[in-house]
Amino acid sequence: MAPFEKAQHPKPFKQRKSFATRKQEVAGIRSKFPTKVPVIIERYHREKYLPPLDKTKFLVPQELTMTQFVTIIRNRMTLMPSQAFYLLINNAGIASMSLTMAQVYKDHKDEDGFLYMTYASQEMFGHCKCVDQFLT
Amino acid sequence: MNTVTPGAAQYMRGGALHNDLVDGRRLTPPPSSPQVPETRGHFGNGSLGDGAGEPDEVDKLKLKLRSAWNNVKYGWSVKSKTVFNKTSPLILMGQSFILNSEEEVERFRLAFGSRVWLTYRKEFPQLDGSNLTSDCGWGCMLRSGQMLLAQGLMLHHLPRNWRWPDCPQLTDVDFEVLRPRSPSRPSGISMPSFSSTWSASGSKKRVSSSNLKGDDSQTESRHRRLVSWFGDEPAAPFGVHRLVELGKDSGKKAGDWYGPSLVAHILRKAVDKNTEFDDLVVYVAQDCTVYKGDVMQLCEQTSPDSRWKSAIILVPVRLGGDSLNQSYTECIKNLLKSDFCIGIIGGKPKHSLFFIGFHDEQLLYLDPHYCQLVVDVTQENFPLESFHCNSPRKMNFNRMDPSCTLGFYARTQKDFESLCSSVTQALSLSGERYPIFTIVEGRGQDYGLEGYSRGGTDPSAHILPTDPAIRNSAEGFVLL
Repeated sequence: MAPFEKAQHPKPFKQRKSFATRKQEVAGIRSKFPTKVPVIIERYHREKYLPPLDKTKFLVPQELTMTQFVTIIRNRMTLMPSQAFYLLINNAGIASMSLTMAQVYKDHKDEDGFLYMTYASQEMFGHCKCVDQFLT
Repeated sequence: MNTVTPGAAQYMRGGALHNDLVDGRRLTPPPSSPQVPETRGHFGNGSLGDGAGEPDEVDKLKLKLRSAWNNVKYGWSVKSKTVFNKTSPLILMGQSFILNSEEEVERFRLAFGSRVWLTYRKEFPQLDGSNLTSDCGWGCMLRSGQMLLAQGLMLHHLPRNWRWPDCPQLTDVDFEVLRPRSPSRPSGISMPSFSSTWSASGSKKRVSSSNLKGDDSQTESRHRRLVSWFGDEPAAPFGVHRLVELGKDSGKKAGDWYGPSLVAHILRKAVDKNTEFDDLVVYVAQDCTVYKGDVMQLCEQTSPDSRWKSAIILVPVRLGGDSLNQSYTECIKNLLKSDFCIGIIGGKPKHSLFFIGFHDEQLLYLDPHYCQLVVDVTQENFPLESFHCNSPRKMNFNRMDPSCTLGFYARTQKDFESLCSSVTQALSLSGERYPIFTIVEGRGQDYGLEGYSRGGTDPSAHILPTDPAIRNSAEGFVLL
């Protein structure tokens, strides 16, 4: 589990594009794929252990459950099943894994029409690494 | 080596002068604990294993400073007393206390003091693959994990509601009901002293373990055995040496920091690989989902007498991004109220704590950030004092780090069924629309990706449609 501390943190999607552009983008893609929901997935800004994703925008079948969706993203990152991985909706809460994407989309979509998710592992706990000198 | 520190005074043990003055009786020091000149503020086990010669004054002073520095450095700041009001129910490991009478305070003291407390230790045998002989500064999450497992094992091996007869007196506590000159104080309650050590005048209930007979002494020896499993030596099944070894598979080594999910998996392996515990399994939930079928399969696995195995269920979660999402507070409370909950390993950011209950808007915890000398648990009648805490502490929910692992225990199949319904109810009671985790029927594989993925074994098996025409029309979206 190599840390990815040096990985770049690109500007969040919302800051890269204006509200109007984003809204337009959603309208365009929804008309082409009415049964899929547009999802933005970004790495938690303090994430140190999970790798960056190569893509940010996903079109997800609306009948997919959160469990299935998480599995797809986990596979994309080639994570071990035991590795901690959480998708936070609007960087705040976790959605119940049995919900479908359609339900999550309905409840949590942004004004621009995207559903925003952040992925993160867990924090590590400890205090000071250079402790040896005080104890020998 | 003496660990006489300002910090240690907070965790003063039964032998301290205070107690002697307070209840006017002498407490018998533990049989194996040598008498030391400075009793006051001396940490019970501090002098163990140092039988030979007192260090000179300069050395003593150096040691004092160093220990004090360590304890400050690891967040062991000098702290005011923990206040306990007499009106709100305090929850400790699923049990409720309303601290409005001396009896209730005594009941709480026994319940709190019987929990196994595991802290940083120093001067233990070198950890394999490093020159470390202490986990001070990095092992706190492992210690919290050990405490959670100890609570599970306690339910597994000792009678339910077992209480340690030698429970320490509580220090640095301020029970509203016991305050002097409190106008609303119920009459008929005798006041303890003004000292920071609250001492039960109900000491008549106190039975020294040396007087135990029959069942009690058998229970006491099981208690001692349980503690010895967490000893800081390579052979102990759940000692730091063993846990660090098991963490190596996950790329961790001695001196690294650990997270609550990682520790859950380390505990699972530690129980799994030890034949002594073949009537117990540990299940770690993935993606905030407990699959009943998977737990049952583990519990039914062929054991010599094909008995249903007891289960410790661990659920690693992340309850927010930068900080705890406050809407989960009620849910955490409801879970801590459950009989089946064996605590939560988590903490404040970078500072792991073992949460064992709550009182109003504060979590009650055991803190591993206290560096004690190693105790040789292979010796018969090794002292138990340093494995139990006498200072209950609280912190506000809003300081809780969002990363944590929730623990549960079910002894029998029937218990497991009750656990599922009781925990599901606790999760749904919370008002929060989405529960922090779910318990579902069936097995994990039933919820897989048939039709969406070619399985997780091939890392290149991305789910992109192969037809370039479709892909191009997706305008930069990954089409799933």
